[in-house]
Amino acid sequence: MEVTDIRPILAPAISFACTGLVFLMGRNTFWRRFWSLGAATAKLVVVMSMLPGTLRGTVYVFKLLDFTPGIGLGFRADALGMFFAIVSSTLWLITTVYAIGYMEPEHAKVRFFGFFALCVSTTIGIAFAENLLTLFLFYETLTICTYPLVIHEETPEAMKAGRKYLAYTLIGGAFVLLGSIITFQLAGTLTLSRPGILSMSAGGTTLTWLFVALIAGFGVKAAIMPLHGWLPSAMVAPTPVSALLHAVAVVKAGAFGILRIIYNVYGVELLKQLQVISWLAYLAAFTILAGSFIAIYQDNFKRRLAYSTVSQLSYIILGAALLTPYGATAAIAHIANQAFAKITMFFVAGSIQRTTGKTQIHELAGIGYRMPFTMAAYTVAALSFIGVPLTAGFVSKWYLSLGALQSGQWWFVIVMIASSLLNAAYWLPVIYLAYFKAPVGATLDIHEAKPTLLWPTLLCALYVILLGVTTQVPGLPFSLAQAAVRFVFGM
Amino acid sequence: MTASALLVGLIIVPLAGAVLTPVVGGRDGARACGWATLVMVVTSGIAAALVVHVAQVGPFSAYLGGWEPPYGIELRFDEFSASVAIICLLGLLAVVFSLRYAAHELPPVRIGTYYTLLLLNLTGMLGFVVTGDVFNLFVFMEILSLSGYALVAISGERTAEMAAFKYLVMGAVSSLLVLFAIGLLYALTGSLNMADISARLSGAAEAPAMLALALLTTGLMVKAALFPLHVWLPDAHAIAPSPVSALLSGLVVKTGLLGLIRVYQIYYGAKVLDLSALNTVLVWLGAISIVMGAFFAIFQEDIKMMLAYSTISNIGYIVMGLGLASQYGMIGATVHIFNHALIKATLFLGAGAIIYRTGYRNLTDLRGVGRSMPFTTAAISVGAISIVGMPPTAGFLCKWYIALGAVQAGHPVFGVALVFGALFIFVYYIRMVNSFYFQQPVHPEILEVKEAPLSMLVPILILAALCLVMGLLGRIPLSFIEPAVTRLLGTVGG
Repeated sequence: MEVTDIRPILAPAISFACTGLVFLMGRNTFWRRFWSLGAATAKLVVVMSMLPGTLRGTVYVFKLLDFTPGIGLGFRADALGMFFAIVSSTLWLITTVYAIGYMEPEHAKVRFFGFFALCVSTTIGIAFAENLLTLFLFYETLTICTYPLVIHEETPEAMKAGRKYLAYTLIGGAFVLLGSIITFQLAGTLTLSRPGILSMSAGGTTLTWLFVALIAGFGVKAAIMPLHGWLPSAMVAPTPVSALLHAVAVVKAGAFGILRIIYNVYGVELLKQLQVISWLAYLAAFTILAGSFIAIYQDNFKRRLAYSTVSQLSYIILGAALLTPYGATAAIAHIANQAFAKITMFFVAGSIQRTTGKTQIHELAGIGYRMPFTMAAYTVAALSFIGVPLTAGFVSKWYLSLGALQSGQWWFVIVMIASSLLNAAYWLPVIYLAYFKAPVGATLDIHEAKPTLLWPTLLCALYVILLGVTTQVPGLPFSLAQAAVRFVFGM
Repeated sequence: MTASALLVGLIIVPLAGAVLTPVVGGRDGARACGWATLVMVVTSGIAAALVVHVAQVGPFSAYLGGWEPPYGIELRFDEFSASVAIICLLGLLAVVFSLRYAAHELPPVRIGTYYTLLLLNLTGMLGFVVTGDVFNLFVFMEILSLSGYALVAISGERTAEMAAFKYLVMGAVSSLLVLFAIGLLYALTGSLNMADISARLSGAAEAPAMLALALLTTGLMVKAALFPLHVWLPDAHAIAPSPVSALLSGLVVKTGLLGLIRVYQIYYGAKVLDLSALNTVLVWLGAISIVMGAFFAIFQEDIKMMLAYSTISNIGYIVMGLGLASQYGMIGATVHIFNHALIKATLFLGAGAIIYRTGYRNLTDLRGVGRSMPFTTAAISVGAISIVGMPPTAGFLCKWYIALGAVQAGHPVFGVALVFGALFIFVYYIRMVNSFYFQQPVHPEILEVKEAPLSMLVPILILAALCLVMGLLGRIPLSFIEPAVTRLLGTVGG
């Protein structure tokens, strides 16, 4: 049932207004924090208020204006979009608190918090986009808005990373634009409200190449190998940016775009007839393993996280490419599972860096004694990546393996097991280092991160456990993912 | 007042205003500027009324002295003529912008002349887009070209004179080509009225008709600075005073394109020739223009030089869209004539304000200016995002439509060229934004300069806002122009 409601546009509009207010009044520390936190809270409330309706099957739509004759700038909060929006807005609030603590000694804070809010605004826009053109609009805006955050340090290294980031993502955007144009020509519409708008009558070759163009476009941000090169370089950004943008907003925008292409533009039935989808699955499996292999050799904490992100994102892609209900459940649920675990990791890395100045893994010997709570959060996240039961990561792996069996491709289960082992190989040594090695030249006194850094970290770690043990996590019900799957598969 | 009286007034008012400027203004620059502003406000009012009228009733004509064509002179106002709105808007803003700029940059004795020439230039453009016969097309083209040459040279600097001379040589040759073509058409049909020529050309011999077409197109494309006929443009546009650059780059080159649309109207209607060969050439040249303009711009250090080269790219977009001869492509191209004018004026006026305040024009020297002139640089950034064609700005919709037109016409490869050409353009605009905001100043005193004065800032901000608004409300110009394009293309098949 579709209901016209202002809330799907209100959610991105709140962050957008926040941006304006931060730029106008942000020189004053109080007002900058007030508007950042206030808008984050307000948006979470708006998004959450739609949740009961969405769970009942109501779809909130709002058509702002006709962008061009025939294609509107429209917003639509369906189950899949709501899932992504809830993850983003929950994490925005937590990350804002963290960022306030983390950015205290930094320069250009007005610019930072202004663009920070703008990025989240566009992410919600991506989640609620009613058609591919609206999605593209926000997808490109996201690229532009993250640029000032990536190069925040303004060092030559940061500028270089920024250039690389723009080169990758803008070329990706160009592919998305081309793909949208051809889709419009073939289908006569760009709506994302149906389970598939293209049909076989367009011809198999055309559909295959169109799929390649669209997936390549979104795949840049989703960091599918070999399109992942920008992600490790972009780690030069301040940690809250890396956390929110590279664990949540930017990379998930790419993954979300791929889900929309697979489920709402092509549709499961059509893709089953195309050979190309299995190649996507192979590519995703390769990325899962290769990303982990590279991560093992990274000594810089954030770079290891970056390659882990590359690897984890392809769980989503693989789950979607399996074209089975269980696979889809894993893909959608992993948006949240990976986000909370990865952001915990990033918070830990940032807290350690701010508190002790250490950025390399080998320097972390004995850190578990000095920062016990932070490292406890790290342990939870690490177990989740390995896929230990009772953590969020287990749920993803379980459904992904079920999905692989459902589609008769049992070898992907082996990929899952191998990935677990690889994750263990690069996350567990850190735990050993932190708890069982004596620190070099430092006392064993407890010297925790300050509260604004610590509490967000612990809260995220708590979410990782909740997502693993119950389907009724506060504000993030698993049934939302299942509702999305039912719609996609017409069940 | 009737529509036809208004149509005549659209030309008479600025023409009379131009002639009276030295009388009213005398040696007082501010008074001359005030007078020119008043003239442009009245003209803009007339233009607005005309656009509303054409939206309500469709194309209409005015016959000078009541003599109907083919004997009398016809002024014809169709949907394409609605570009008078953007001409008046930019003209008005450029005049207001000039108040401080001209006083600062020009020798005092020339300020009165400057406003006279500015109004004459605008008169030429207004006449060019509403005239109904080819001879007056030529006359108005000469008015706007001659005043353009003088405006480029007006600062009296050596480089400006050289640039103006280069512009003059190329412009004069192109005018000759057009004039010769008009002579040919007259010999073939015995008429100078466009509709009349179109009707009579169907029986004419093919070879001379083709020659006339080739000469007209070549001549007009020199005015439009389509690659490889663009060599005059970068110097002229970069060296002219900034408000003049805005007009030259935003509007004057577009008259070549609007002229091309008139040629299409004549020849499509006549059905004497198959234009697909011409269209193929134009589409290819358009694609090459996009890439070459962007390529040259990357190597520029001078901010205005960079903007000048980007005009060549954008002309490439429009010519490609026109040459595709598909519904979407042509609509996109026509609307881009309008949108690019807005965007380029934002950029040139913004650059002018920065040069006015800082005295620097190289990107390296301008590092850090974003901190001292936040509004101007923000407006330039909006313009930059818009010209690259990022949604939701004005530039995006045109790119979307022209690329859609390429797919519709069965040449998706040109859509690819367009989309990736735009990326190329982004390379140098990101350099500009980087140097404004994210790099340490080379000249520390640049952090001390003041924001542009209001008479400059207000026009810039209005234009930047329009760059955004026209992106969000893009359906208005798109659906406005649609019937005209349908009519034009309808004559192709049938």
